[in-house]
This record gives sequence, C-alpha cells and structure tokens, in this order.
Amino acid sequence: MRKYVLLLVLVLSYLAIISSFTSHMKNRPFLERMGYTPEPLVLKFFSADQYRLSAAFLIVKVISYYGSLVEQYQNKIYIPPEYPEMGKTIETAVKLDPYNMDSYYFAQAIMIWGASQVKSTNELLEYGMQYRTWDFYLAYFAGFNYAFFLKDYANAAKYYKRVGELTGADLPMNLAGRYMYESGRTDLAVAYLSSMVKSSTNDAVKKSLQTRLDAFQGVGKIEQACTSFLNDRHRRPRSVEELVQKGYLEKVPVDPYGGTYYLDKQGKVRSTSKFAYGVASAARERTSPFNTNDSRLSH
Amino acid sequence: MRQFIFITVQGIFRDRVFKGIAIFAFIFLLIPSVSSLSMRQVVELSLTLSLSLISLMLLLLSLFLGGSSLWKDIERRYTYSVLSLPITRTKYLLSKFFGIVACLFLTSLVLGTVSCLVVRYVAWMYPPLRPVVWPNVFLSIFFIALKYILLVAFAFLLSTFSTSFFLPIFGTVAIFFAGSATQQVYDFLQSQSAFGYSPLLKKGANALYYVLPNFSAFDLTANAIYGVGLSYSGLVLTLGYFIVYTAIVLTLAAIVFSRREMQ
Repeated sequence: MRKYVLLLVLVLSYLAIISSFTSHMKNRPFLERMGYTPEPLVLKFFSADQYRLSAAFLIVKVISYYGSLVEQYQNKIYIPPEYPEMGKTIETAVKLDPYNMDSYYFAQAIMIWGASQVKSTNELLEYGMQYRTWDFYLAYFAGFNYAFFLKDYANAAKYYKRVGELTGADLPMNLAGRYMYESGRTDLAVAYLSSMVKSSTNDAVKKSLQTRLDAFQGVGKIEQACTSFLNDRHRRPRSVEELVQKGYLEKVPVDPYGGTYYLDKQGKVRSTSKFAYGVASAARERTSPFNTNDSRLSH
Repeated sequence: MRQFIFITVQGIFRDRVFKGIAIFAFIFLLIPSVSSLSMRQVVELSLTLSLSLISLMLLLLSLFLGGSSLWKDIERRYTYSVLSLPITRTKYLLSKFFGIVACLFLTSLVLGTVSCLVVRYVAWMYPPLRPVVWPNVFLSIFFIALKYILLVAFAFLLSTFSTSFFLPIFGTVAIFFAGSATQQVYDFLQSQSAFGYSPLLKKGANALYYVLPNFSAFDLTANAIYGVGLSYSGLVLTLGYFIVYTAIVLTLAAIVFSRREMQ
C-alpha cells in the first residue's frame, strides 16, 4: 500500500513540475536549444551509417527554431535570430549529406537575406553543385545571388547558362538578360521571390519569403511612380508623399516589416525598417537589436 | 547442416524476435508525417528515414543475435549436446551463422516491403521532382543486409574466444564504428589537410584501413535516396570484397572455435 502511495505522490510531483519544465525548455535561447553542434568529422564518425539522418535532423532543428521565431513575429515579438549558429548548423548538415536539398534551400531562402551571407551561401551552392549535378535550382540560386547581390553579371550569366543546359531551355538565359539589363534588380527579385514562394512547402519559410516579396513589390511600385514622375516633370520627386499628392501613387505602400518607405538623397527607395523585423520599432526606442545592413532592398 | 540452420531460425522465432520486428515495423507508419517536415525533399526524407530504420534494426539484430547466439549456447551447455552428434564444430558454427543470415534477409525483406509501401504513399502525396529509382532502393537494402552479415561474422569471431557476453557485443560495436569510419579516415589522410601528420601515424592508419572492414562500400544510400547512378563494376567489386572478407573472418572463427576447450 505504501508503495502505491509513494508512486502516486511521485506521479503528482511529476505532473506539478512538467508544465514549468516544458515551458523552460521551450523558451531556452537558441544556443541552448540547439545545443553544441560538433565538427562534421566528429559527428559523421559517431553517426556511423546514420549520417544522412543526422543531417536531416540538424536541418529540421534549424527550421523548427526559425519557425518558432516567425510565430513570435506574428505576435509582434521580435527576437533576433542567431544567424551565425544557424549558418554553422546548416554547414555541418551539408558536410554530412551534401545531397540534401533542404540545406541549400534554407540557406538561400533565409540566411542570405537576413545574415549578409552571400559569399558563404554561394560557396555552399557551388559545393552542392558538385553533388546535385542534375539540379538546376542550385545554379538558379547562385545566378540570382551573383546578379542581385553582387552585381557580378558575368558569373550570373555563367550560372543561368547552366540552368539553361540542365533544363534544356533558353528561357532562363533570356529572362536573366531581360531582367538584368532592362527591368532592373527589383523586378529580378520579385520574379525570383515569387517562384520561391510558390514552390515553398514550409509555412515559416513561405511566410518569411512572402513578407520579403511584399516589401519588394512595395519598392517596385514606388520606383515605377518615380520613373513616371521623372519622365513627366524632368526632376526627381522629393518624397514618397509627393508621389501620392501628384497622383503617381494611389497610396503609400505598407512596409510589411513595420517601417515607412522614404526616398534617400540619391532618390533610392528605402525603409525605416531596413527590411528586417523589429528594426523600425527598435529604432524608435533607439535600442536596435538587429544589425542587418540596409542594402538588401536598396538600389 | 540445413537442419541446423532451420533449428537456429526456429530458435530466433521462439525468442519472439520477429514479434519485436513486427512491432518495430509500426514505427514506419510515422514516416509520412515526419517526412512532411522537409521543405524540398519529402520523398527523399522518407527514403532516408526508411533506410535508417532498416539499418538500425539490422544493427540491433546483428549485435544481439550475432553476439549472443554462440555464447548463449556455450553458457547453457547446449553446445556440448549438439557437438556429441555427428557434426563438426565448423559445421555447427556455420549453421548458426547462416541461420542468423536467413533471419537478417527475412527482416530486410519484411522491412523493405513496408518501406516501399510507405515511400510509394509519400510519393503519391508529395510527387517528387525526380522519380524514385526503385532498383537502387532494392540494391541499397540488399547491401545494408550484406554489411550486417559481415558484422555478424565479426560477432561470431569474437564469440569463439570470449568467455563473457561483453566482448562479442562491445567488440562488435567497436568494429561497426571503426568499419564505418575507415574510408573517411583514409580519405582524410590522403588529402592536403593531413600534410602535417606524422608518417608513422599515416602508415598505421593505412594498415588499419586494409585490415578493418570497409562498411562505406556497402553504403548505396545516395543512389537510393537521390537517384545517383550506380557503378556496376563497383557493386561487383564490393560483392567480391564481401565474400572474401566474410569467408576470412568465418575461417578464423572456425579455427578458433575448433581449438576452444569445452569443459
């Protein structure tokens, strides 16, 4: 009888503690939640023949961490993502299983926009191309990165050519050429992000990409209005508001990152949010937790 | 000998090992929902999980059947009554070994079939960009089974001279990890990164590379999961390597077992 009482007391104690324990585990900072990611060589040794599963596990961990941050953003709670740790984990996953597409996709969809990791993402993509020799997506991503971020059109053309070879179509080359030389970088980004949003299956990643696409579309509208204004009046508009007042814009587009669009001294479209969550509100409080550069959507 | 193989398989059935495997097979039903966590390769993740589970199950069977089968018979003094029959020690050893081999193949067949059904379902739910290359999947499962047969041979070798349960089990675990890493270590030592390492260390590692089993050769997971083309000459070589290496380990086991004093 005493044993049963003891068991009952222990079960009740467990129930009393489990809720706080679960909450504590859920709210741990990223490093604690992810734990230490060992060197790929060590991890590969201890994973033995389960190394591909280890890679998949690392990616799922990063995705679920990022997903929880996006959830917080929906509730207007801005927690800065730990990009270096996420990058290291993704890199380890790539070293374990260089065929796994999720690593490259996450790096391209999330890391490159938030963490200024253009060079390292391109290196990752180039590494992946040695393995996923059939996959045109990696070349497509690399081509976009060279064109949009680095303005290196020679390398971009090289990768778009590869896309053409892998898909057997001339279209990517033509599109790339048209976007780069005729329409400008915003259109290129809008076209690229639209295709990424359409093909994305993960909710958190899709939301993140959609937000960036909305921001680009806002920039695109203002840019278009600026061009019309310049053609008609042979001078640049002084502000976004002037474009609205003179009828070139129906209304000022809403920045999905919570900032306000404005024109800088060179007439380039920028936003007080710097196109990152939390920056606009933090700037108001003069304690920005983000250190993202503002060149992502600048022209 | 065929009769002894049959008795070994019967013994495994009697120990309810297959009931455990049937329960384990239910885990495969979780694969579709776990795979949907992937962003761009749901079918590939379902294949990764399936092959990982098959490999894990075969590893457990190899360790516990291979490491305990012979030792348990000796411990229970069952071996003495069997060896009083007109059967040589080598035949007895081989019949136990092939009984476990039959069990591993049967398990691979059952779990492989369940895997294929699960992956087909996932592919129907989330059509992949590249179709699943089924021959590669079947070959991958077959080569996973071969790898664990080689591991069972090592478990038998360790069981022949061990007087305790620990050496066959932990020794086999050590062989498994070492065999999974040999190629990786060898490749590393051949690369530029290992330039500063002492020549003695390199020679020692190279010697171990040739002595220890190379389980990486049996890894066709990239071919199965991502549809990477197979090298048929490589498969034939691996098959040859498997036959010769397993035969050497079993011969050593037979020699040690024949000389072992049974009291």
